[in-house]
Amino acid sequence: MKARFLVAAVLAAILAVAATTASGGTKKGQADKIVVWLQDDAKNGWPEAVAAATSAFQAKHPGAEVDVQYQQWPTHLTKFDAALAGGNAPDVIEMGNTETTKYMAAGAFAALQAKSFPNAKTWLGALKGSCSFNGKLYCAPYYAGARAVIYRKDYYRQAGVKGTPKTLAQFVSDGKKLMKKFGKDRNFSAVYFAGKNWYASMQFVYDYGGQIAVLKNGKWKGTLNSPQAIKAFTVLKGVVRSLSRAPLTVDESHPYPSIPFAQGKVASFVGNGWEWPYTLDAKVGNPALAPVMGAYPMPSHIKGRYMPTFLGGSDLAVPVTTKNKGLAVDWIAAFTSSAQMKTIADAGNIPNSTKLASYTLGNPKVEPFAKAAKFSWFVPTATHWVDVENANILQDMCSQIFSGSKTVKAATTSASNAITRILNGG
Amino acid sequence: MAVAESEFDLASRRRRRWSRHHLGQAALPYGLLAPTAVVIGAVLGYPLYLIARLSFEKYGLFELIRHKGTWIGLENYTRILHDSQFWRVLLRTVVFTAVNVSLTMVLGTAIALLLTKVSRFVRYLLTAALVFVWATPVVVAVDVWRWLVDSQFGLVNWVLTELHVGNFVHHDWFVNPWSGFAVITALVVWGAIPFVAITIFAGLSQVPGELIEAAKIDGARSWNVFREVTLPLLKPIFVILISLSIIWDFQVFNQIWIMLDQRPSPDYYLMSVYSFVESFRLSEYGLGSAIAVVMVLIMFAVTFVYVRQMVKAGEVH
Repeated sequence: MKARFLVAAVLAAILAVAATTASGGTKKGQADKIVVWLQDDAKNGWPEAVAAATSAFQAKHPGAEVDVQYQQWPTHLTKFDAALAGGNAPDVIEMGNTETTKYMAAGAFAALQAKSFPNAKTWLGALKGSCSFNGKLYCAPYYAGARAVIYRKDYYRQAGVKGTPKTLAQFVSDGKKLMKKFGKDRNFSAVYFAGKNWYASMQFVYDYGGQIAVLKNGKWKGTLNSPQAIKAFTVLKGVVRSLSRAPLTVDESHPYPSIPFAQGKVASFVGNGWEWPYTLDAKVGNPALAPVMGAYPMPSHIKGRYMPTFLGGSDLAVPVTTKNKGLAVDWIAAFTSSAQMKTIADAGNIPNSTKLASYTLGNPKVEPFAKAAKFSWFVPTATHWVDVENANILQDMCSQIFSGSKTVKAATTSASNAITRILNGG
Repeated sequence: MAVAESEFDLASRRRRRWSRHHLGQAALPYGLLAPTAVVIGAVLGYPLYLIARLSFEKYGLFELIRHKGTWIGLENYTRILHDSQFWRVLLRTVVFTAVNVSLTMVLGTAIALLLTKVSRFVRYLLTAALVFVWATPVVVAVDVWRWLVDSQFGLVNWVLTELHVGNFVHHDWFVNPWSGFAVITALVVWGAIPFVAITIFAGLSQVPGELIEAAKIDGARSWNVFREVTLPLLKPIFVILISLSIIWDFQVFNQIWIMLDQRPSPDYYLMSVYSFVESFRLSEYGLGSAIAVVMVLIMFAVTFVYVRQMVKAGEVH
C-alpha cells in the first residue's frame, strides 16, 4: 500500500516535471509571445490600462501574444529568482523602486534606451533615479504612490471634529474624540494602524528628523536608535496604542485597512492613493461610502507642515534572459504612455510624468496624495537595501515596539545593528 | 581425451548453469528494485547532490543569473557555525520537535486506546473525524486555525472572553513567541494525531486477547497491562511512528510560514524557515544550502538510531 503510494507519488512528480518542461518548451518555441509580470494592484485597480496597452501593442505587432501574469508583493522576488535560475523568467517584470538596485547591481536587467519610451523626458525624478545604475538606464518608471490619511467625513462630523487636523497633536486629539464617540464598539479604530506597517511608521521618524541609515566614509550605519527616531517611535506608540485596534503582528495588507474601513469599523487610516477607489470597489469594499470619504496629507508635529511620506513606486524592467527584448520594450512603452497613465492616475496613483501634474491636481481623489508627495523620504540607496526589507527587520521592530514586547530602545538598537550588518554586505 | 573433454565440458556447463541460475536468483531483487532506485536517484538523489554542491559555493543573485557559482570550500559552514542565530534556531527546532513528537505520540496513543473501548458507532464516528483531519490539506488547515485565533474576529478569543477566562478582546496570540508556538504546536499535533492514532489502533487489534486476559488473571491493572504486554508487542510500530514524527516535525515549515503571512519574525524561525529565508529572501543560496545540509545530517543521525533499532526488532521476529 505504502509502496504503491510512493510509486504513485513519484510518477505524479515525474509527470509534473514533464508537464512544466513541456510548457516551458512551447513558450520558448513561440518567438512572438511575451510574458509580463505585473503586481496584482494592476488587476484590482486598473485592468483597463493593461488591456489598452496590449491592444496598442498588438496594433503595432499583429499576432504577437501578451501573457500578463499577476504576482503578489511578498512572494514575487522569490518567484523571480526561481524563474531566473530555471531559465523561464518573464520578458517584462514590475519591481518596486526599493527593489531595483539589488537587481541592477547583479546585472539582472537589460540596459534600455530612454528614447524608446514616450514620457522619458518628463519622468518623475524619484522613479527615474531608481532605474539608473552606473549611469545606465535599466527600467522605465511606471507609477508612484504617496500615503495620506483616508477618512470618514461623517464620523469626523459626528464626533465633533471640525475640518481636518493641521498638526500631529490635533490629529491625536481628534482621534481621541472619535474613540470617545465610537470606541464602545470593540472593533472600532479611530486610526487603523497595523503593527507591521513600517512605511507609515517611518514617516514619523523622518518627521522628527530621524533616518533609517546614513552613509559615512563608505560604510552604512543604521540610525533608528538615534534620539530623534526614539522620540518619534515613542509618540507613534502612543498613537497606535490609544487610537488603533488593528492586529499588532500583521502588515498593512493583512487585511487591507480598506476592508474594516468599508465595514464601518474604521474612521481613518494612513493609506495609498489606490486604496480609496479600492475601498469603494463593489467586490471588496462598499460603494455606498463614496460621498463620505475624504483624504488629507498627514500633518507634521510642526504646525503648517506635512509629514514626509514614503515615495513608493513601481518600475518596469526587462530581464537579461529575455529573447524578445524589442517586443518587451514596445509593450512597456505602450503601457507607460500618457493615455494609460491617465487611467492609472484615476485609480488613485501619481503618474510617471510631471507633465500630468495638472491632470492629477484636478482629481480630488488624487490631489491629497499628490500634495503629500511633495515632502517625501526614501529608503537608503544601498545595493543591499532590499535585503533589509526581505528580512522583515523594520516590520518586526515596529511590531515589537507597539506590542511592548521590547522597549523602544531595545527594539530600535537591535534593528539598527541588523541594518548596519546587512547594508554593508551581510 | 575426448571423453575427458566432454566430461569437463559437461561439468563446467552444469556449474555455469548452476551459477547463472544462482546469479539470476541473487540479482532478481536488485533487478526489481532498480526502477525504483533509478527514480529515487533522479528525483531525490540529484537534488541532494545539487544542494550539497551549492553549500560549498558562493551562490547569490549575481551567480544565479549566470548559472554559475564560485567554489569557496567550507566557508558557508564556518559562517553558520559561528552565527549565534543558527545555534538558537537549532535549539528551538530540537525543543519544538521533542514537544510535538511527545504530544503527538501520547495523545495519539490515548485516542487509539479510547477507540478500543467505545461502542462501534462511536468508533466509526471518531475514525471518520480522524480521517477528515488527516485529509485536510495543510494550507487549508492553517487558514482555518488562523481564523480561529485571529485577534479581531477569532473564535478562540471570543470563547475565552465569554467563559470569563480573562479579557481576550483583541488578544494577539503571536506577540509573545511562547503563546504563538503554543498555537503552532496545537495545529501541528492536531494534524499529526490521526495517522498515529489509526496506526496504533490497527496495532492494538493485533494484540492477542489471551495475553491480556492472562495478565489480568495474574492481577495486573490496566496500566500494567499496557506497559508490560501491549507496549512491548507494539514496539516496532511505536519506533516507526516516532521516527516518522521526528522527520515530519523537524521540518515543519508551512504551518509557520502561512500562519505568519510569509513574514515570520526571527523569533519564529525553525531550521526550515531559517534556511528558506537565507536562500530565497536574502538570495544567499549557498548559505541556505549549507543550513539545509546540516539539517539533513542531523535528521540522518537522529533517525539512524531508530531505524537500526527497528531493523533489529524486525530480525527478532
